Amino acid sequence: MLETIGERCKAAHPLLEGERDVHSRDGHDTHPFIVQQLIPTISESVKSAPSAHLTMVAWFAALVSSCGPVVENAPFSARPDTLRPGDLLGPFDGVVVDGETDRPLAGAVVAGSWAFERGIGLQGPAAALEAATETGADGRYRLRIPADLPRGEGVRLRRFTLVVYRREYVAWRSDSSFPTGEPRNDFAQRGNRVRLEKWQSSMSHYRHLVFLGGGPAIRAAAAWEVQPAGLELDGASPATASEHPAEAAHGGSSAALDISPLLSEDEVRGVTGYAGKFEVGKLADRATSDVYDSRHFKASDKPETHDVGLRVWAIGSVAAEAQFRKLLGDLPSAVATEEMGDASLRARGGDVTGFAFLLRERGVVMQLSCGLAQCSEPSMILRLAKLAESHLPEVKLPSPESTGLVPLSSPSLAPGAKP
Amino acid sequence: MKRTSLLVRARFTVTALVGAWALFSHPAARAYESATTHAGLTERAVEASRLHNVLAQLGRPLGLLEPLRIGFDFFDQDERRALQARLDALDPAGGYRPGPDGVAGAAHWVVAGAVLAKTPPERGANHFLDPASGKGLHDGPGLSGIAHSLRLLFNGGASVRELAAGTAFTLEGKSALDWIWTPGNDLGVPVFLDNWEHAVSLAEPRARESALVRALLALGGVMAVLEDAGQPAFVRNDFRGAFLQQDDGSAYEQFVAAHYGRTGLPAAGASVSRPDIASFFASADGKGLANRTQRRFFSEGTIPADVSIERDTKVADVVRRARESLVFPSPTLSALVLRPAQTRHYLALEGHRVLAYENSGTQVRFLLDDAVYADMARTLLPEIASYAAGLLNHLLRAHLEMTIAGTSVNVRLGGEVKQGGALRVFVEDASGRRRELPGAVASLSPGGEITVNPPAGARKLAAVVRGRDVGGPFVAAGEVTLP
Repeated sequence: MLETIGERCKAAHPLLEGERDVHSRDGHDTHPFIVQQLIPTISESVKSAPSAHLTMVAWFAALVSSCGPVVENAPFSARPDTLRPGDLLGPFDGVVVDGETDRPLAGAVVAGSWAFERGIGLQGPAAALEAATETGADGRYRLRIPADLPRGEGVRLRRFTLVVYRREYVAWRSDSSFPTGEPRNDFAQRGNRVRLEKWQSSMSHYRHLVFLGGGPAIRAAAAWEVQPAGLELDGASPATASEHPAEAAHGGSSAALDISPLLSEDEVRGVTGYAGKFEVGKLADRATSDVYDSRHFKASDKPETHDVGLRVWAIGSVAAEAQFRKLLGDLPSAVATEEMGDASLRARGGDVTGFAFLLRERGVVMQLSCGLAQCSEPSMILRLAKLAESHLPEVKLPSPESTGLVPLSSPSLAPGAKP
Repeated sequence: MKRTSLLVRARFTVTALVGAWALFSHPAARAYESATTHAGLTERAVEASRLHNVLAQLGRPLGLLEPLRIGFDFFDQDERRALQARLDALDPAGGYRPGPDGVAGAAHWVVAGAVLAKTPPERGANHFLDPASGKGLHDGPGLSGIAHSLRLLFNGGASVRELAAGTAFTLEGKSALDWIWTPGNDLGVPVFLDNWEHAVSLAEPRARESALVRALLALGGVMAVLEDAGQPAFVRNDFRGAFLQQDDGSAYEQFVAAHYGRTGLPAAGASVSRPDIASFFASADGKGLANRTQRRFFSEGTIPADVSIERDTKVADVVRRARESLVFPSPTLSALVLRPAQTRHYLALEGHRVLAYENSGTQVRFLLDDAVYADMARTLLPEIASYAAGLLNHLLRAHLEMTIAGTSVNVRLGGEVKQGGALRVFVEDASGRRRELPGAVASLSPGGEITVNPPAGARKLAAVVRGRDVGGPFVAAGEVTLP
C-alpha cells in the first residue's frame, strides 16, 4: 500500500523525476491531485482496519512526506531581458566579467545554494543543498537543477542564492551588494552577468567575510582574508591589515618570511636519488607573508608525482600548535607520529605522501608533500624534513609579537596544489 | 456495528478534511527568516561584543575568526543525529553552516546557534514573553491548538507520538525566560555555562574545542530568544494574529527579511548594560527589551478593532471604542484624524509611525502597513543588536587574568562580578592534555589573587572559576602559556 501511495505521489510530482519542464511553475497545484488520488486509497485502508484512527493520520502524514518540495516564486527574473520570473530550482548560468574591462574572468568560484524551509506560522530551515563550480577561460558558469531534493512534510524551496568570489575582487551575491548590504535586483536565472568590482585597499576584509557567507568552496577561496580580517578586529585599519599578510608578499616586503635556505634541489636529489631537473618556485595555494612561506620543487617535464612541496608557518607557539592540530585533522589519512619535533604526523592522499612537524618553542610548523614517484620510500620524506629542520637557524623568523595568526584552511597535500 | 462504521467514517472524514486543509492552506507561505534576520542581528551583536577579545585570551588567537571543530563523537547517538540534521538544514549561503569536516569560525558557531534556536521552527513557540505577566505563548481554551498540532503533523512539525502524548505544539509555549533556563533546551544558559567551563577543564584538546563550540552555539541560542523580544508579536502573545492570519508568518518579519536580508541589517549601537540576565528581557523598571517593544509597538493581531461609524459619530467616540478594544494598555490612542475620508493616516509615537488607519465613510479601519513596518524596523533592529551584544557581554562578564611572575603564575578574578567562586587550576602537558592541579582548589573573590606554582614540564596553565553573583551565574576562565 505504501508503495502505491509513493508511486502516486511521485506521479503527482514529475519534479521528483527531474522533469521540471513539464511541471507547473506553481508547485502548489499538485496538491489537489494528491488529495483526489490518495484519499480514496486511505479510505480503503481504514475500512480494513477501522480502529486505527491514529494510524490513519500517520498514513496521511507518510503520504505527504513522500512528496517533493513546493517551489516558491523566485524573486529574480528568468533572463536579464524579461520580467518573467525565474525558477528557484534552476538551472542557472551566466558569465563573470571584470567590472571595468568587461572581460571574462576565469577562476572565479561560483557557489549556488538552495534553502528549504517548513512550518506553519513559525517557519525555519528544513534542508539545504549546495553546488559549486569555477569559471573557465570564457568566464562562464552553469549550475544544474540539484538532484536528491528533500521530500515532503511541508518542505518548501524558499531561496536560491548565488555567491561569486575571486581574489582581488569584491565578492558578489545574488541577494545583496557589498558594502551596503542593500538588496540586489539585477540577478537573473539564465544569462546572468556578474560584474566583479576591483577590491579597494580601504575596504574591510572582516566586513567582506561577513558579507560573503557561502559554503566550503567559497570559504576555501577566501581563506586568505582571515588574517587581515583578524588584524582589523585587533584594531588595525583595513589598509594596514591588507598590507600585512598577503599583499605585502606580492610586493616583496622585506619582512616576508624566506625559507629558501631550508631545502635545496641538490639535497632533494641526494635523498631521493632523482636525476632530473626541478623548477623551483613557490606553491600557489597561499601567498608568502611575514609568517608563511613555501617552496615548490616542480620536476621538469614530469607529472606531479615527482614534485616536492614545503610549507612553513612561523606563527608563535600557540598558533603553531593550533595549526598543527588543524593539519592533523584536515590532511587526508593523517596519523600522529613521534618522529620529529614536539609532534609530527604522516598523511597520504592519492599518489602523494605528506609529513608535518611542530617545533613548539620556536612557534614553527613545517609541512612537506612529496609525490610517490619522488619519495618512493617512507623514510625519504622524513630525511627531507630533518634536512629542512637542520637549516632552520639560517632562516630569519618573525618576532613573537608579530605572530599569532593561523590560516583558516589547510593546504592540499598535493605538492603543486592550486588555489 | 453499523453505528461504529459510521463513527469511523465520520472520524476519517474529519481527518481527511484536516489533512486537505493542511495541504491547501499554505500556498506561497513566506517563512520567518531566522536564516537571515536572526543571523544578521547576531552577527552585528557579536561584532559589537567583547567575544573576540575573550576568545583571544583563551588561546584562540584569531578570536571570532578562529576555526573550531565540533566533535560529534563526544555526543550521544541521539543527540548527535539530531544536531547533525539541524546543522545540515542550515543554508550555506549564510556562511555559518559548518563544513563537512565540522569546522566553522567561532563567530559562525554563535550565528549558527541563533538560527538553530528556531530549527525546527516550532521551538520558536518558547520565545514569547509578556513582560507584565511573565507568561509565554498561551491560547484560549478550545480546539484550535489541537487543530494546529494536527496541521503540523502534515507539515512535518509534529509526530503522531507527540500528538498522542500531548507534547505537540498546540499554540502554547514556555515563556522565553523559562526557556533559556530549561534543561531540555540544548541552546540554553545552563548549556553555555557548563560547556564554557568544559572548554577549559576537559583533558583532551579535541574535547575542549568541541565544548567551546557547544558553548558558542548556546550563546547564539540565548541571543536569538532575546532578539525575539524585539518583535512585537512575541511580547504581545500574538501568534494567531501575526503568524496564522494567512499562514504566511509575520508580515513584519517578512518585511524585515525582504528589505534587510542578512547583510543589510544596521549595526548595533552601544551594547546595553543590565543588572542580570532576566532584566535584558523584562524588568520592573521597564527597560527590558520586551517592555520597550510591547509599550511602543503594535503587532498585527493586537491593533484596535475596526470601528463602525455613522454620520453623527464623533471622533472622540471612535477613539474611545478603539481604545476599549486594545488588549494591552500601550501604545494607545489619544486622537485620530478622520478627515478627509478614504485617506490613510498614521498614529505617530516618539517620532515613528506605529499604526495606520483609514476612514472609509462607514468604518474606521486600523492596520499595520509597510510605512509602519519601516519605522518599526528602523527603531527596533539596532536596539535588538545592542541588547543582544549586552547580553553576550553580561554572560562573559567574568574572566581570569593570569600573569607569569618568575616561576609562578598569579591568577586574579577580573571583570564585572560582585562575588567570587571556587577556583580550579589545570596543567597542560606537551601533548595538549590537561589535568587538574591537586590542591589548587581555592575560593577566589573579585579582584582577589592567588599564586600557583606550575609543576615542571607544564606547557600551559589554565584556570576556571564558577560562581554566582547578583547578575546570575558566571564562569570565569583564563589560560597562559608558560615560558
